[in-house]
Amino acid sequence: MSAHPLRLRVNGRPVELADVPVTERLLDTLRGRLDLKGTKEGCRTGGCGACTVLVDGRSTLSCLTLAQEAAEAEITTIEGVGSDAEGHRVQAAFEAVGAVQCGYCTPGFVMALTGLLKERGAAAPFGEFLEELGGNLCRCTGYGAIVRAAAALRAEAASR
Amino acid sequence: MTIRPDLAEKIAGRVRYATDLEVPGMLWGALVPAPVAHGRLRTVDLGPARARPGVVAISATELAALVGGRQGDRDRPAFPRERVEYLHQPVAAVAAPSLAEARAAAKAVRVEVEPLPVVSDVDAVFPDWPGSSAAQHPSVAAHVHARRGDVEEAFRTAETVVRETYRTASVHQVALEPHACLAEVEGERWRVRTSTQSPFGVREDVASILGIPEESIVVEGTWVGGGFGGKGASFVEPWALLLARAAGRPVRLALTYRQEFLLGRTTLPAVVRMETAVSAGAIRARRVRLLLDVGTSLPGRDFATGYSIGFLLGPYRTPTFEVEGYAVRTNKPPFGPHRAPFAPQCAFVVESHLEEVARRVGIEPAAFKAAHLWETGGTTPFGQPITDFGLAAAHAAARELADDWRRAAPPGHGVGLGMGFWSTSTGAGGEARVTVSADGIRILQGEREIGSGSVLVGLAAVAERRTGLSRHRIRVEYGDTASAPYDAGVFGSRTVGALGRAVDDALVQILGTLAQRAGAPTPVRLAEGERGVELEGRGQRWPIADLLTDEERAQGGLTAHGKHYGRGGKIDESLVVDGTFYAYTDFTGAAHVAEVAVDAQTGSVRVVRYAAFQDVGTVVDPPTARAQVEGGIVMGLGTALTEEAIWSAEGRLLNAGLVDYRLPTISEAPPIEVTFVEGHPGAGPFGAKGLGEPPIIPVPAAIASAVRAAVGAHVTELPLNPERIARALKREEP
Ligand code: FES
Ligand code: FES
Repeated sequence: MSAHPLRLRVNGRPVELADVPVTERLLDTLRGRLDLKGTKEGCRTGGCGACTVLVDGRSTLSCLTLAQEAAEAEITTIEGVGSDAEGHRVQAAFEAVGAVQCGYCTPGFVMALTGLLKERGAAAPFGEFLEELGGNLCRCTGYGAIVRAAAALRAEAASR
Repeated sequence: MTIRPDLAEKIAGRVRYATDLEVPGMLWGALVPAPVAHGRLRTVDLGPARARPGVVAISATELAALVGGRQGDRDRPAFPRERVEYLHQPVAAVAAPSLAEARAAAKAVRVEVEPLPVVSDVDAVFPDWPGSSAAQHPSVAAHVHARRGDVEEAFRTAETVVRETYRTASVHQVALEPHACLAEVEGERWRVRTSTQSPFGVREDVASILGIPEESIVVEGTWVGGGFGGKGASFVEPWALLLARAAGRPVRLALTYRQEFLLGRTTLPAVVRMETAVSAGAIRARRVRLLLDVGTSLPGRDFATGYSIGFLLGPYRTPTFEVEGYAVRTNKPPFGPHRAPFAPQCAFVVESHLEEVARRVGIEPAAFKAAHLWETGGTTPFGQPITDFGLAAAHAAARELADDWRRAAPPGHGVGLGMGFWSTSTGAGGEARVTVSADGIRILQGEREIGSGSVLVGLAAVAERRTGLSRHRIRVEYGDTASAPYDAGVFGSRTVGALGRAVDDALVQILGTLAQRAGAPTPVRLAEGERGVELEGRGQRWPIADLLTDEERAQGGLTAHGKHYGRGGKIDESLVVDGTFYAYTDFTGAAHVAEVAVDAQTGSVRVVRYAAFQDVGTVVDPPTARAQVEGGIVMGLGTALTEEAIWSAEGRLLNAGLVDYRLPTISEAPPIEVTFVEGHPGAGPFGAKGLGEPPIIPVPAAIASAVRAAVGAHVTELPLNPERIARALKREEP
């Protein structure tokens, strides 16, 4: 199996890895090599959203992304998202409404919502905005509190 | 403002789950699956796996040596010796320095099985049912039968008899975090860190499966990424421990999502025959017959059937009845608990059936149900006295709301009402060690927070309510099974109700001791003062620091050991013909209202809005209580509308993944109004009733009723997917 050096930026810091197989998933690079375990491993098949990170600001499923595809990119994970203004707002909104139970979906939701707000802001209708989050599953909350957090964030974005 | 001590950590991605555990020198485990659903095990050749560098491999032949010649429960060995009974059943396990190597080694194990006929479902065992009885059939794991009164006479003389058959599907818990653990064995010390709803339950299971004494096993719970019943018993732990023993190194074993589906212990399909006899608008008699697929659950150990039958009678007065249930063994994994095990399915069946009965006799369904609903002080059909029960009050409120919604509903929309009742597992015991000092209250107990908040928030809320001390002075701590007092587990909606009672018991002892020492007039409370926490009675205050002995101060405060071991009620055993039936410990329930929009062309359903009226006794923490109701309802929408594990005739699960097994998503979750019906106290502290399970129970019933109201489709199968709705609509066409 061929392996190559890989350079990326993770949470603002340069990362250089010597031998990263072409088949390695970004999820495993982050969790395994960089010990960034805040990104959760769920289904590994793109169905749950637990592994969501930002790649150059766009919400991305790290289980379906090859690490080498992310070469030279800027990766943001839950460990770093608090330094981003939008990410910080999302985390604060989650805390204010208590949009967390077991917390396993939480990092993925925070990242997806941050990416979506960056990309869309308050432009799209709320229903469509929520549909964009359909790839992030939560089995605990019934989504009610997450929807309340999203609504508050959108109202805030609209008033900016 | 929500006070969840775990909130900030979880939002920052800082909590560590079992899937995150890694220690230096550990190996990764993988399981070797059986290639067929039923067969005689001919060969398990570990040689090719062991030939790989760094690989440890074990199967049934190594078992005795690994546990020092001891013998575990012969009925549920860690690995099968002679026969495999479901597809992918682990027949061996391997560990290797990386996950990739472990998986490759697992594939290298040579397994040969001589196939035997597969019993794929209950229909294969009971082709002529309900026309036949087959208590002696080899596939029957348990048989229950009870009756009261002259059932035959009641059916013969009734004005109207309604007979229907219902089918319900297999549903998975799908906690977002898969099962995972990290095992280490040193000498005679077997230690496992695991994601579990019950560390003590895991210890007991591991001891029984491996045959080693409980004292040599230590289970430490980790953060849990959702349980829903799926993490209530041991699962991956025995295999991981055996691998760790064989390897002499720590071993981490986690299931993939695919394995979660393939091996998961969950609700399996059922067929229910419902018959009701009515005269003069009143139920005269009912007959309920159940075929419950219990997979490879052990013969004679099926609890689900005897327990579920009562839920199929529903919370309705039934003077004369006959119930008969078969737990049918099939070549699927064992049946396991899924949030209020099988109760949402039972509620769907009984609510839909009685709605049909009411329509046939020309009575408005809600009125018909209200006229038969149990009330406090009555007795169940099994003769158990009904203690404080708020379902009638919840139903009355739900009816009013449903009428309002109906008046406002546009064409194509339908409003439905469904009920469900439940008895929580507050009989299962628990203990807690509570310490009061000048700094506050510390609660040491054995459970980890699984997400619902029942441990971190619920227990603290009980302490706050008992003492008056504000919650930021109250800390809930956990220990492993060696350091923490015993508790049965976070299941059965019992954490606040039972473990909370243990916490309360300890606090009552401590307050009593402190009051006595201070000579304070009772009742006393705790409050914050200049010198830390103070005892307060009738306006007077005593700093806790002054009330402690030197020894107590040195030990960090005054400690008491609280206990709660509950008692269940009794049923009239003279009604039992065969098998075991169970009494309820308490009575709780809910009435739900759903408004749906149904596309009559495609049969697709959108839930427009939803309301829940929950009989809770007393709410101990409103935000987490509400969160439980919202979460339970949306999980129930999955059971109602999309979730169905489909098994082939060869015992193969055809949709073992999130693509084909569809969970509700954020845009499908409706707005939910939650109303707590208080004033009907339960067995928990301050009259609290459990709330983890009850909110899911009425959901499929409410949705089915709404779909029927919208387009006239009387669907008798779960889930109510477009195909079934379209089929029902065809049937209804004149
Ligand atoms: S782990 Fe990536 S989508 Fe589930
Ligand atoms: S909080 Fe548990 S899955 Fe979302």
